[in-house]
Amino acid sequence: MSWLTRLNRGETRIDFIKWWRRGLILSAVLIVISLGSLFTRGLNLGIDFKGGVSYEVSMSNPSVSAARTALDGVGEGQAKIQIVGTDILRVQTAESTPEHTAEVRQTLGQVAGTDASNVSVSSVGASWGGDITRSAIRALIFFFIAILIYLSIRLELRMAIAAIVAVLHDVLISVGVYSVFQFEVTPGTVIAFLTILGYSIYDTIVVDDKIKENERLVGLSGRMTYSQMTSLSMNQVLLRSLNTTVVSLLPVISLLVVGAGIMGAVTLEEFSIALTVGLTVGAYSSIFVAAPVLVFLKERQAKFRAIRERLASQGVAVDRPAPVPSASDEDTPDAANAATEVSSARTATGVIPPRPRKKTRKR
Amino acid sequence: MRRLRGYGSLVAVVVIAAGALLYTLVAGNKPLLGLDLQGGVSVVLKPKEAVDNATIDQAIAIIRQRIDALGVAEPEITRQGDNILIQIPGVKDKDRALDLVGQTAEMQFRPVLANIAVDPTATTTTTTTAAPTDQTTIAGETTTTTVASTTTTTAALVGGLPEGVCRTGLDAEQINKDGQAILPQCKSGVLVASYSVGPTALTGSSLDTARATLGDNGWTVNPVFKDGADGIGAFNSVAATCYAKATTCPTGQLAIVLDGRVLSAPMINQASFQADLIEISGNFTEREAKDLATALKYGALPVEFEMQQAQIVSATLGRDALHAGLIAGLVGLIAVALYMIAFYRVLGGLAVLKLAIEGALLWSVISWLGTNNGLALTLAGITGIIVSIGVSLDSNVVYYEHLKEDIVNGRSIRSATDHSFVSAFSTIVKADVASLIGAALLWWLTVGPVRGFAFYLGLSTALDLLTSWAYMRPVVRLATRSRLVGRSSLLGLPPEKVQERSRRERSTEGASR
Repeated sequence: MSWLTRLNRGETRIDFIKWWRRGLILSAVLIVISLGSLFTRGLNLGIDFKGGVSYEVSMSNPSVSAARTALDGVGEGQAKIQIVGTDILRVQTAESTPEHTAEVRQTLGQVAGTDASNVSVSSVGASWGGDITRSAIRALIFFFIAILIYLSIRLELRMAIAAIVAVLHDVLISVGVYSVFQFEVTPGTVIAFLTILGYSIYDTIVVDDKIKENERLVGLSGRMTYSQMTSLSMNQVLLRSLNTTVVSLLPVISLLVVGAGIMGAVTLEEFSIALTVGLTVGAYSSIFVAAPVLVFLKERQAKFRAIRERLASQGVAVDRPAPVPSASDEDTPDAANAATEVSSARTATGVIPPRPRKKTRKR
Repeated sequence: MRRLRGYGSLVAVVVIAAGALLYTLVAGNKPLLGLDLQGGVSVVLKPKEAVDNATIDQAIAIIRQRIDALGVAEPEITRQGDNILIQIPGVKDKDRALDLVGQTAEMQFRPVLANIAVDPTATTTTTTTAAPTDQTTIAGETTTTTVASTTTTTAALVGGLPEGVCRTGLDAEQINKDGQAILPQCKSGVLVASYSVGPTALTGSSLDTARATLGDNGWTVNPVFKDGADGIGAFNSVAATCYAKATTCPTGQLAIVLDGRVLSAPMINQASFQADLIEISGNFTEREAKDLATALKYGALPVEFEMQQAQIVSATLGRDALHAGLIAGLVGLIAVALYMIAFYRVLGGLAVLKLAIEGALLWSVISWLGTNNGLALTLAGITGIIVSIGVSLDSNVVYYEHLKEDIVNGRSIRSATDHSFVSAFSTIVKADVASLIGAALLWWLTVGPVRGFAFYLGLSTALDLLTSWAYMRPVVRLATRSRLVGRSSLLGLPPEKVQERSRRERSTEGASR
């Protein structure tokens, strides 16, 4: 079977236990870089957080130097001037009086060769940004608590904890990316980050559901440790996770490339960069962060530790993908045979009627 | 009949979606575009000191009045915690709107030094304001000032008031609260009289409340002053000077001024008054009396505000943003539809149809809310909707992958359809509820554009839950049992395992339905 077919059937044989170690190293490196950048360079905060006045006007051949010369005349030579997209001139200054703002607006209108009323102005008092930040952080904390409770009820506490760790990881790295590349942080960015939280939890739930389904494999004949079962589950759920990611990413990438890149809508750019980064990291973290953290927590549980020790003493290789009974061969599990053919662990075949147990558990 | 059971929800949801869309088209409902897409003015005001709810509500009522005077349709004025968010989309004179909103008006009581008649024959040479449509003579208060004649254009005035003063108002310098000024009296945006007034004798803070009452002689307005030297005492001292027609108040009239405009300038008929027995009479209509009472009662903003954030969005930038958002959304939609169809064939096509149904329902809800509730669709909202495309298709992916897995394990396509839906839906519910919790928290706890986004994300997630249950299960069932497309290759599913399948069918035929 080609690799693609195996992926399609959920029968890939990737050794996730090995890859988790590599993944965790990668994550650790990324987090260190993010934290480092945050503490040294900090974030490039937009005026909504710092306070100030921002002007935007669309102009056929935007020129920073022409704008600067004109602004010099009104005492704003030090303003931050940028060209966004292909034809939008954006100027940011410190807070100013309404009269001065009107003056700058007039000047920019002249530079752009249009009426002052076509210049968009946004002026923000410094405390507004503080309000937004505070409310966003508050929402974040409540969100974590609510999700912790919800997931603990529907799945289990350790899975909830692992999910939250994955989400924190995502947020940290996404913020780090913004710091490293000095993208501007606006309320749009905050919205995007909060979306990422939701998405990351979604992906983690998809993966956790599969793990829960397979959990009985660890207890039943005690054939594999929790880690091995999780690795197996990852293989089975890989395509599902990949597809949900692709399907979520495509619209967002379109927003970025078409909306912001080709059509030059600036606000879209703010959202879509954060969303793209966050969704990608979110997909990665469900498999490479949430799962290993869960495994770490579970293997500490007495029950699973006992199974692991027992299997190790029996000579089964506990740190590599486990052999699994093949689907059609329920009565005579054959470790040697199964080692060459890892198929789905579920044994719903002709000899066994649908498992009612699974239904009641899910409900 | 048994075969048709379970398809009821499918029919229902398709009918509802189509019906909703039709209704939207027929009723002419359209989404209300937010400021960043339409252009307009947005301001956030924060009270300078801590205030209670009643005060904020009062302030909102006054600001609304002021903005209504601009003649814009439906400004959106909402509270966000202690802040007031004012959004005036589509307003043409943006700078004026901004000025108007932020002013902390003061109500002033000022002695009238002279009445300046309006000369109806004098005309302006430049453009004038539009004439009001009702041209009835406005009977002035007969006990008070000169009767105002109708004017259909703004007249050049003696006294140097600027043209169109009723529309633009006066600035603080012209109002000159501690000295003399010339102030207009406007009715429905038309200048009817102007007065030369002296310095402010007392302000609105001396007023307790005001009422409009219907008496034997028609409608009157009764202001009630507060007790004490600051209230009725101050009023009485200026009343005395006016009654005596002293030099500071030669006409004997006291002008009631708000936002630099004279609301009324009644003649003082007594030397002193009791706090609650003051009556302003004239030929007031009920409307005029009530308006004056409201103005007296609420006239000044009860607390001073500072402008936290002000935005003027130009209409062109807004339009560009809208176009970009829509086109990007469309491209994303097409890309993702192609991907689903390539991967899941007919099932992928059904997933795209699910999107269409959700889209129809979403559009109808947004349009209805936009037209009837003033809920605005901002760029953040559009982003939320585009993100929800992914949310909706994710549900399909979860289900289809479950299906594939069951088939690979040996189930027949038919029995897998029902069996895997149960566990797939469980996953979908968990994940969608988590999303909804997030959206609800976001909505409840945040301010500004984040709220709009949270609402649209929450709405789309809820619709996804609905259509996953009502549409996805029956339609996939329909597809797998259909002779036309029921083959695994067309459905994008792996081939069934034949031997197990026949064994399975025989032993579990009854149970799988």
